[in-house]
Amino acid sequence: MSKHTDSKHADSKHGLDSLLDLGQRVVSLARELGADQVRAGVGRGVSTELSRRDGHIEKAEKSRSLSVRASIMVDGRFSAHATSDLRPEALREFLGRAVEATRFLEPDLNRRLPDLETMGDADIDALDMRDASWDDLDPAYRQARCADLEDRVRAAGSDLKIRSVTTYAWDGSSDHVTVTSHGYQSAWRSTSFGGGAVISLEDEGGRLPEAYFTTGARHQADQLGPETIAKQVIEHGRHRLGGGPTASGRYAMLVENKVAGRILGTLIGPMHAEAIYEKRSCLDGKLGQRVANEALTIIDDPLLPRAAGSHPHDGDGMPARRRTLLDRGVLQEFLVDVYNGRRLGWEPTSGDVGNLIVPQGVRSPQAVLATLPQAIVVEGFLGGNTNPASGDFSFGVNGVLYQHGHAVRNISEMNISGNLFELLDRFSEACDDAWIWSTWRTPSLLFHDIQFSGS
Amino acid sequence: MSIPRPDGAPGAWFEDGFGITPELLRRVMSAALSKGGNDCDLYFEHAASTSVRLSDGKVNAAGTHVDLGMGVRVVVGDQVGFAFTEELTPAAMMAAAATAAEIAEHGDPRTVAAPVAVRVTDWSPVLEPWDQVDMATRVKMIRDWEQRAFARDSRIARVESSMADAAMVVMIVRPDGRLVEDWRPMTRGHITATAIVGEQRESSGANVAGRAGLEFYDSARQGRLVDQAIDRTVFLLDAGKPPAGEMPVVLAAGPSAILLHEAIGHGMEADFNRKGTSIYADKLNKRIADKDVVIVDDGTVPHTRGAVNVDDEGNAGQRTVLVEGGVLRTYMHDEISARHYGVAPTGSGRREGFRSPPIPRMRATIMENGPHDPQDIIRSVKRGIYCQTFSNGQVHIGGGDFAFYMKTGFLIEDGKLTRPIKDVNIIGNGPQALERIDMVGNDMIIDEGGWTCGKNGQSVPVSQGMPTVRVAKLNVGGMG
Repeated sequence: MSKHTDSKHADSKHGLDSLLDLGQRVVSLARELGADQVRAGVGRGVSTELSRRDGHIEKAEKSRSLSVRASIMVDGRFSAHATSDLRPEALREFLGRAVEATRFLEPDLNRRLPDLETMGDADIDALDMRDASWDDLDPAYRQARCADLEDRVRAAGSDLKIRSVTTYAWDGSSDHVTVTSHGYQSAWRSTSFGGGAVISLEDEGGRLPEAYFTTGARHQADQLGPETIAKQVIEHGRHRLGGGPTASGRYAMLVENKVAGRILGTLIGPMHAEAIYEKRSCLDGKLGQRVANEALTIIDDPLLPRAAGSHPHDGDGMPARRRTLLDRGVLQEFLVDVYNGRRLGWEPTSGDVGNLIVPQGVRSPQAVLATLPQAIVVEGFLGGNTNPASGDFSFGVNGVLYQHGHAVRNISEMNISGNLFELLDRFSEACDDAWIWSTWRTPSLLFHDIQFSGS
Repeated sequence: MSIPRPDGAPGAWFEDGFGITPELLRRVMSAALSKGGNDCDLYFEHAASTSVRLSDGKVNAAGTHVDLGMGVRVVVGDQVGFAFTEELTPAAMMAAAATAAEIAEHGDPRTVAAPVAVRVTDWSPVLEPWDQVDMATRVKMIRDWEQRAFARDSRIARVESSMADAAMVVMIVRPDGRLVEDWRPMTRGHITATAIVGEQRESSGANVAGRAGLEFYDSARQGRLVDQAIDRTVFLLDAGKPPAGEMPVVLAAGPSAILLHEAIGHGMEADFNRKGTSIYADKLNKRIADKDVVIVDDGTVPHTRGAVNVDDEGNAGQRTVLVEGGVLRTYMHDEISARHYGVAPTGSGRREGFRSPPIPRMRATIMENGPHDPQDIIRSVKRGIYCQTFSNGQVHIGGGDFAFYMKTGFLIEDGKLTRPIKDVNIIGNGPQALERIDMVGNDMIIDEGGWTCGKNGQSVPVSQGMPTVRVAKLNVGGMG
């Protein structure tokens, strides 16, 4: 597919000046219309996605977007707005109405802009978030990648009854600009490349279990190779065949690295200052206390070069920094944004997370499983939720039951349930297989004595 | 911020406001089909929404959002080329059309008919449109909800209330000349409450949503919203976990229809079936449920969140009988799948907005009434659970495995509701669960909550309804 250029995207290949100008224009206009403080965000994106199903292109999609966000204070009152209608007269009318609507609210001075001296960027160049090769990407690359991946998937699964294979490739560029009325401005760019495969297999009883595998990277050269993607999706597919529940009971649980973020994510929501202030956090009052087994450490590092969750500043404009959230089981830091920090009377620590890292251990998942008489390897979750106020959780799971290191049956239609603190206390080991193609960079995680409900 | 209902002829909103003339539409459509293609649609959208939120006893945050743009889709067989622009200039639209056209590489240009306006039935007429409602009215309403919520139970320590309203004008143009303009209102009210007793704290809430104006919030509905938010929250203080394992599950009328949506509905969306990847792909005209089971997907239920005057391919909203007397009669079709199966589209081609192409989606998915008294259904269970409210669900389309998360319910012991229970995931296999529905009640309720369905990265508003039903066996994620 060819690229096209229109006036909204005229400098999409050459910098951010026009976006900074647009951000400044929004700030000036809102001030002129009556806002006391303004924070303008401008986002521009171009992305392309190609999908191929069973030998034919299924969908070719190209998108270009440019929109403006504006947070405004009027007489101590706050509101937030967004529009993609950037015609000059429409933008003026939009901001005028936004200012007028804000006057009906009640004052909340905690919403004022952060102090200028607390704002800034980490070293944007060091983050290396943009791959210049994207500018000249050959459109044939996507088709070739999809075709190659499909061939490899079919080869890896040649012994299986494959109903359908869909492969896809996407790439895009995003530009991010922030301008405030008290003099802060920031501009940075990023690219993303990714792809994956979805397979549908024929199984007993007319079932057609599917398996998928998706990865992404900031730079084209960092992407996972098609051979690995094909191997992974076929392996997951094999583990979905003939699956069913095994007996209810307590089992050791090894959560595969690629999905471990789902289970640890239950800890992140209650860490936010908003949840604490609004009395919806089971972690309230637990700062400095042990909330997990001492084998568990979680680090937030938004400064990793080329990583999925890296960013130069958080949503308040505070420079990104590395921090330890959980150190050997002890809760070290809450996620405190400026607004909720003011409500709580706490110093802000940043309400945003970047790349969440669980340091890896020394044993492979296979070595760990070999030492266990029985364990369920969880490869995916289905539904489920957490009560952030109490920490109670319940998730559907699928995976494989192992005995003494040997896979004995595929598992589906089972649930795990319990309480977050009980779960984290039963964490016992991180494996040596850290997964780095996601914002959660964790190895496979072993928990003991987890309640599974099945047949 | 809101958009007034267009009072001109269909097409006038975009012609008068943005210079989208019939001639320009024909040029853009011709560009999209310049390399051939079976079909094409141009989808224009202008949407505006307003939200207000109360926290700390103050209505201290508000927001507005405007979306404007056009998506163009070219279809060749089952292949799709798609592009969109947020700028409604001739140059930007022609460029988007040229991009979408590239999916068809070898065909001859298609002839495009001159646009002719088609009028559609309005299933959600509005009495008090949002563009005529001032901010003070919105502020007063959510403040009143907060005060009534606190007054209802002394254990309530915090209340957050909010409401949002939106209006959207869309215009859909097809190569056969059909031009449809549709005005789509929406509103949603929400209350979150936290109860604290000693060291114990529980948080929950309720919401109501529909395609309507300010009249949606009559006193009865506002009362239900407050009552449900507080009742569901304080209920959790005394609730525990049910036992784990497989057991009979009675689903209460209304929100339990999440079972229909996850376990059954997605598998009946025709795109999965034409690709052969749905577990229902070879089950047309076969018995898949008890004879008492009738399931419809209906875009014509007035003012529901899933109501569709016209789908996003320009086809009229309609009522589609999916399962009749336990037999699978049809799937939910968009244009691509309808051509594949040689049937008429069912008005199920929906999209999140102009940035996405349409795909088959549910609207209001409903199980119709059966013969049983709900109390008899409860009395029939020796030991099981009764599910009242839910928060979310998920399905694996091909394998049929589904899950839904029960927020509140009761244990059933010897035919009676006994201990309150909460926070469990319930999991099963869709076709098996459908086969295991062995009692259907006569008390169908369409839930008025603000359900949103996600598929292929697109979210659309949906509704769902169901009478009380008994499922002979499902896996309950309890303890012990």
